Amino acid sequence: MLRITGGKVYDPKNGVRGEIRDVCIAGGKIVSDVPPHARTIDASGMIVFPGGVDVHTHVAGAALNFARGLIPEQHRKSRPIFHTPQCRAGLAGSTPTTFATGYVYAGMGWTTANEAAVPILSAKHTHEELADTPIIDKCCCVLMANNEIILDLLETAEFERAKQVAAWQVWAAKAYGVKAVNPGGVAGWKWGKDCKGLNEPVPGYKNVTPRSIIKALADIIDQLALPHPLHIHCNNLGAPGNYTTTLETMKALEGNRAHMAHLQYHSYGGDDWFTMKSASVPIAEYFNAHPNLTCDAGAVLFGDTVTITADGPWQHLLYELTGRKWGNLDVENETGCGVVPYVYKEKNLVNAIQWAVGLELLLLITDPWRVCLTTDHPNGATFWRYPEIVRLLMDREFRKEQLKHIPEKVLSRIVLPDLDREYTLSEIAIITSAGPARTLGLAQKGHLGIGADADVAVFNERKDAMEMFSYPRFVIKSGQLIIEEGELRNSIEGSQFASKPTYDSAIEDYLRPLFSQHYTMSFENYPVTEECVHGLNVHQCGSCTQPG
Amino acid sequence: MSCTLGEVKNRADFIIYWGGNPAECHPRHFTRYTLTQKGKFLPRGRKDRTMVLVDIRETMSAKAADIFLQVRPGKDFEMLTILRALVKNQKVRAEAAAETGLTLEQLQDLVNRMKAAKFGVLFFGMGLSMTRGKHMNSAAALTLAAELNAFTKFVAMPMRGHGNVTGADVVMRYTLSYPFGINMSRGYPRFNPGEYSTVDLLVRGDTDATIVIGADPGATMPKPAIEHLKRTPTIVLDPKVTHTSKLSRVHFTTAATGISAPGTAYRMDEVPLPLRPALKSPYLTDEEVLKRIITALQKKPAWQPAVKGGEQIA
Amino acid sequence: MSTAVTPEPTKHELHVVKHAVCTFCGCVCDDIELHANEERIVETKRACILGESWFKHHTAERLYPDALIDGKEATYDEAVEVAADILYQAHMPLVYGLSNTTCEAQRQAVWLAELVGGVIDSHTSL
Repeated sequence: MLRITGGKVYDPKNGVRGEIRDVCIAGGKIVSDVPPHARTIDASGMIVFPGGVDVHTHVAGAALNFARGLIPEQHRKSRPIFHTPQCRAGLAGSTPTTFATGYVYAGMGWTTANEAAVPILSAKHTHEELADTPIIDKCCCVLMANNEIILDLLETAEFERAKQVAAWQVWAAKAYGVKAVNPGGVAGWKWGKDCKGLNEPVPGYKNVTPRSIIKALADIIDQLALPHPLHIHCNNLGAPGNYTTTLETMKALEGNRAHMAHLQYHSYGGDDWFTMKSASVPIAEYFNAHPNLTCDAGAVLFGDTVTITADGPWQHLLYELTGRKWGNLDVENETGCGVVPYVYKEKNLVNAIQWAVGLELLLLITDPWRVCLTTDHPNGATFWRYPEIVRLLMDREFRKEQLKHIPEKVLSRIVLPDLDREYTLSEIAIITSAGPARTLGLAQKGHLGIGADADVAVFNERKDAMEMFSYPRFVIKSGQLIIEEGELRNSIEGSQFASKPTYDSAIEDYLRPLFSQHYTMSFENYPVTEECVHGLNVHQCGSCTQPG
Repeated sequence: MSCTLGEVKNRADFIIYWGGNPAECHPRHFTRYTLTQKGKFLPRGRKDRTMVLVDIRETMSAKAADIFLQVRPGKDFEMLTILRALVKNQKVRAEAAAETGLTLEQLQDLVNRMKAAKFGVLFFGMGLSMTRGKHMNSAAALTLAAELNAFTKFVAMPMRGHGNVTGADVVMRYTLSYPFGINMSRGYPRFNPGEYSTVDLLVRGDTDATIVIGADPGATMPKPAIEHLKRTPTIVLDPKVTHTSKLSRVHFTTAATGISAPGTAYRMDEVPLPLRPALKSPYLTDEEVLKRIITALQKKPAWQPAVKGGEQIA
Repeated sequence: MSTAVTPEPTKHELHVVKHAVCTFCGCVCDDIELHANEERIVETKRACILGESWFKHHTAERLYPDALIDGKEATYDEAVEVAADILYQAHMPLVYGLSNTTCEAQRQAVWLAELVGGVIDSHTSL
């Protein structure tokens, strides 16, 4: 039992904006009161936030682990996490080790993370890593927009069966949501091709187009009543002029719920790398007018990182541009992934535009509940650099200072210099916690109301937001004190959320023969069993609604 | 550039095995994953695929190949480099080609076929990665495959043996960042192959105790390494009393992986599979024995990494 | 307490494990059908010649003591104490092998290497 007293509480979901009040904790939950003998934390001069929720990050699984193997030279420069009796050893850096991931997230007051890209074939691997990722609660999105069994069904217009297969796959992967990456483009990449527009048939198909995949998956997810909407990484990621594809995708999603992942990478104007410019204004305008959509920023910060995405064709292009290392890993019938180490440079025209676009979107999108703070870790920057972005959002003068470092010719291609908005602490609490929790459909996360999970971060109130949010004084996870006086004192295990949509188990009889034809493992060994998922917490989805 | 084996099954119309003998070492590789399977996009199976074997001698696997290329021992790197040059249409002297034991025409023909493939795959075995040139050879093979992607789809993959060695690689990467040879003496992972690799450590006599799990170095390692294992206390976990057990201070008999011990193993393409043991062992599993040792160690005063002037040495 | 009498299965009664996984080589075939009695595997459908001998090579018989210390029979508990002492006292212990074992054991091996501040290495480095 615990009472946090004297702190300024920011709990946007419950309308609390910096009022001094007590937060009481018992049995891992927020409660209305605790007896006088409960331990009291004096939070005078501090601010109290609900624990951070990351809606889109890459912290576990085959692709990330492939990347770890590719960059030993970066690990050498990474921050070591020392072995102590409370704490397992590891390395932070651009691809933190499993244990380090848990400690570093908790160490900055973030307590829930959504691993955004899981192939079913290696979902068991992802769950093994998540089991070794301490403290934080986790969930993951299974990759579906290039799954050949689904695409084959869409080719022959068997929507109902595709829906059954999708539901079966979500549960087989013990996933929470569904992610679409470059719909059709990754399947095309397996022949060395890509999908640029939404209306061209996917290589190898006659009827299936990226548009038909997007629409079908969004319908499937809405009808299955999954708690998180379709999580979509649009076609044409990273390419100059791609904002038109993004607009088209958003238009195709009218009438559906959808979450636009790392929108920064999809908001570029211009015709080529030399004329590239920001297109955050038309994207934000459309987005602001369409409340069916949520997004995360996918912001970029300057420095070393490694880019990892299921978007194989984009990664090959990046390899040709950089001439650096390139790793690619295609997963049978389901997806692929590319890995390229990368440095975002201030003096590089393209990188400077990318940096600006991420911030512009965060500042131009008017409803903070619909935009989440992310860097698409580790693609735009590592997650432990979030406090830098918070400062950039809260401090206009600091932003102006930073703009001096980028090439002058960039200034006419971005709108960032014209934006005067400064985020308030309440708005920061929304984009880092309350909003992403709502977007994920995690009702017990992202707030401090009675009955919520007792995930709380307490920061010293300071003028410099970056300093303030880098080192919380106290972090409480599931009611347990994890960080005390800025030090990791205790490590606990987190839970994992999975969704169970309803499906007709007869679908297995349909899948089994297909499976032995196309896959190389036994159908029976393919699904992840419940025992394999550490701290499994199942969200039973409502009954499947029929198309109206 | 890699992929899971199902991609090969469904798509690969051109398959190279280099420095490996799958017919004898990975007997079902041809039939389950690569050569004879009917794939989604290769309905006629074997007839739709071309297979090339590159090796220093004509093994059993050559019988399965359409083309066998006998490379001169120790000339793999030279051959890979010439292929890379030919892929980029650079001029190669016939004498340089001849050094590999093959003619320029043979090598040019191979390059033409690689470029003409719809989906090519290069499997490389220990004959490439463990002979003269070692990791330089593996790197050259991977680069060749990467560069071929300017023309067509091409992947490369090592033919890993030894049971779940792939799993060890995967687990060490996600817990410690590196795949093998990791030194934890400063309390965080450091990697330096050649310095922290087992044979080097043992031959130099750097270690003063060893615990061996699921391996029998006493039967396979060079003599000076074995001598050091004998000289210092060694602990073995194995289902059998092995050569290494006999030179050890402590031996634990444990259940056999996948036969009487449950758990997870990784395929060579890093696909995880659940083990389904058919027998109930009278012995503990490796996992259980290690847990007990860890519990015993945790009862002792905690070891802390070296501290200098109040600061941990980084 | 249940009063039902469960007949002791005889040594000849075979049970079948489908979709079993062979860990002998890197192919890790997972379509094997094993027929086994209480003591040994007698049939290995679809396994290759290497897999078959691997499955039949290991039995559930008690061929060795639980543990040996300096070549003499010992209990697990005794051996655990000696092993922990050896590793604790060593300045530079080595954790090696990790091929013929499960990922679950490999995860424990990593933890062990951390606890004793040693080197951890697999077959790969050979």
